[in-house]
Amino acid sequence: MIAIEGLTYQYASASEPALVAIDLNVGDGELFGLLGPNGAGKTTLMSLLTGLRKVQNGRITIGGMDLSHERGQVQKAIAWIPQEYAFYPSLTATENLNFFAGVQGIRGETVQQRINEATEITGLKHVLSKRAALFSGGLKRRLNIAIGLLNQPQWLFLDEPTVGIDPQSRQFILQAIRDINARGTTVIYTSHYMDEVEFLCDRIAIIDHGRVLVCGSLLELLAQGKTGAASISLQQQLPQGFVLPESVEISAGGLQLRIESITELDLGKLLQSLANDGVNIARLNYGTYNLQDLFLQLTHRSLRD
Amino acid sequence: MFVFLKKELLLLSRDLHALMLLFLMPTIFILIMSLAMQDTFSERSNVKIDYLLINDDEGESGPWLAQQLLDSDNFQRIESDLSLAEQQAMTRGDRVQFLVLIPPVFSDALTDPEQLEPLKIQVAPGTPRAMVLLFEASVRDLMGQLLLGAANQSADKASFELPLEVETLFGEEGELTIPTSVQQSVPAWLVFSMFFIAIPISTTLINERSQGTLDRLMTMNVSRVRFLASKLIPYLGVNLMQVVLMFMVGIWVVPLLGGDALTLGSSMAGLLVMAFAASFAAVAFALLVANIAKTSEQATLFAGISNIILAAIGGVMVPRFIMPPVMQDISLISPMAWGLEGFLDIVLRNGGVIDVLPEAASLMGFGMLMLLLSVKLLGRR
Repeated sequence: MIAIEGLTYQYASASEPALVAIDLNVGDGELFGLLGPNGAGKTTLMSLLTGLRKVQNGRITIGGMDLSHERGQVQKAIAWIPQEYAFYPSLTATENLNFFAGVQGIRGETVQQRINEATEITGLKHVLSKRAALFSGGLKRRLNIAIGLLNQPQWLFLDEPTVGIDPQSRQFILQAIRDINARGTTVIYTSHYMDEVEFLCDRIAIIDHGRVLVCGSLLELLAQGKTGAASISLQQQLPQGFVLPESVEISAGGLQLRIESITELDLGKLLQSLANDGVNIARLNYGTYNLQDLFLQLTHRSLRD
Repeated sequence: MFVFLKKELLLLSRDLHALMLLFLMPTIFILIMSLAMQDTFSERSNVKIDYLLINDDEGESGPWLAQQLLDSDNFQRIESDLSLAEQQAMTRGDRVQFLVLIPPVFSDALTDPEQLEPLKIQVAPGTPRAMVLLFEASVRDLMGQLLLGAANQSADKASFELPLEVETLFGEEGELTIPTSVQQSVPAWLVFSMFFIAIPISTTLINERSQGTLDRLMTMNVSRVRFLASKLIPYLGVNLMQVVLMFMVGIWVVPLLGGDALTLGSSMAGLLVMAFAASFAAVAFALLVANIAKTSEQATLFAGISNIILAAIGGVMVPRFIMPPVMQDISLISPMAWGLEGFLDIVLRNGGVIDVLPEAASLMGFGMLMLLLSVKLLGRR
């Protein structure tokens, strides 16, 4: 479990703290979403959780280990996948993976075994001998993730892993994150894409101005208000030629359906037609806020502000 | 550490600009400067040649010759109360170009060959050959005048052999070969190019910082010291490769183009000490530049300008011995001057490990300071 207690952090040059008395718990095996506009404190929180910055006030324990005293041990069990392409573009994918495996003390036959596992999940096997500089944005994102999987982390921190990529790659990555989580890895996920968080995460915290505004399961958060809105997370994309009502918005690479207002009868019809075409539903929210509305209500600004 | 070494070498091998900067640029410099500056130092009409003089002659000829040299516009006598050994040490260290020793029986020897004890000109090892010939010709001319005067007074007893010896002062081991321009050029441009390692190092490090790779490594329990050591060690190797390559150019390529071949002196251990110390200083300086600069453009500009200034001050572009005394003192603030003087101690003055220890220690101290500052700055970021 990740336990954050009374965490406050202030940069030397700042007049106000970047984080104020944060209390959060993330259970083992959870897929936890961290939402907040730019400057909310997400990156600072991530850098504290990964040991990049030293805790000033408060306490962080990961798996029972106090990050302030057992940073080395904690870092062996975690991985951070930054928003940037944090690898060497002039090296091939294999050279990059070998290097980052070596840095983490992975030796001998285990190196190849770990590389095989990481590239299988991220679908990189066909481009291993290619220089990373020649990769598309989507492949670069996947390599970024593969590097983070080499040490088989128990806790994985993902910082906006789908920024700037095409819908197909995005869908692939979202599915890969689900697979990683399904193997027992706890995932802490930040994103600007509300639909991704809605699609992926079991629990969500919304932070702004360095404070946690709200934290809970998706259902708990969305149940804070009643509307006629519905959101449907799909396990696979819609088949070719599937006709949706005009009011339905599609997002998350075709895996998320959102309807601003729909009657129970019409929703029933839609679910039936999806079932008839063999489309499985991962999650359904009806009659509640959507996350976007909730976010706007809490922060009074949009996620991209 | 091996994984870091492999990664850095792979990155460098794929960076064509860095390879050209580190290996092609100094090769071209050495070839051009060695050939262009061959025997040209004597053409510096407005530069005075420094010399020391010890006159032990109790007759009239010694003082007369000393006065004539003093009156010359081309030469400048450095007055000194030091002992013979100390003045020879000054000459051996290239602080003056010549030491003139007029023997006690010089006046008598001009008229009595039985008492022949020659006048000696001892030459600093870094003195260009043309300058030696110029000085020697001037002294010969004066001695010829003395000899003619003596012959007129006593034609039957005058000696027509000029009692003059010219010898170059090398290290304690004794004389080797006469130094040439290539002995000056190779160490100078080698040291210059070694400090250019700042550009590829800072480019790599700044890219790692801006792309989040450095932060990622820090979350993988890589300490600052380990990270900086991972830069230091492979690039030390690259710098040592530069040393070997540049010496090979001096030994084999320059003669192919009509220049003199480089000779390496007699102390391989001394060369190794200097190569290591200069590399350490250069790489540590590069790490500091990389930590100060925010972008690779800033780093390239800063490294380029600071290298040229350090080289200009340090005697790479203009040999220290032709600088005015004040500039010679100022030049000692440049680590390139320490590196250059250390290499010259070996290849020009035939020195050994002991001779280069002061320069090597200065370079190591400078490198340690740069490294400590780099660790601090990396932590602050």
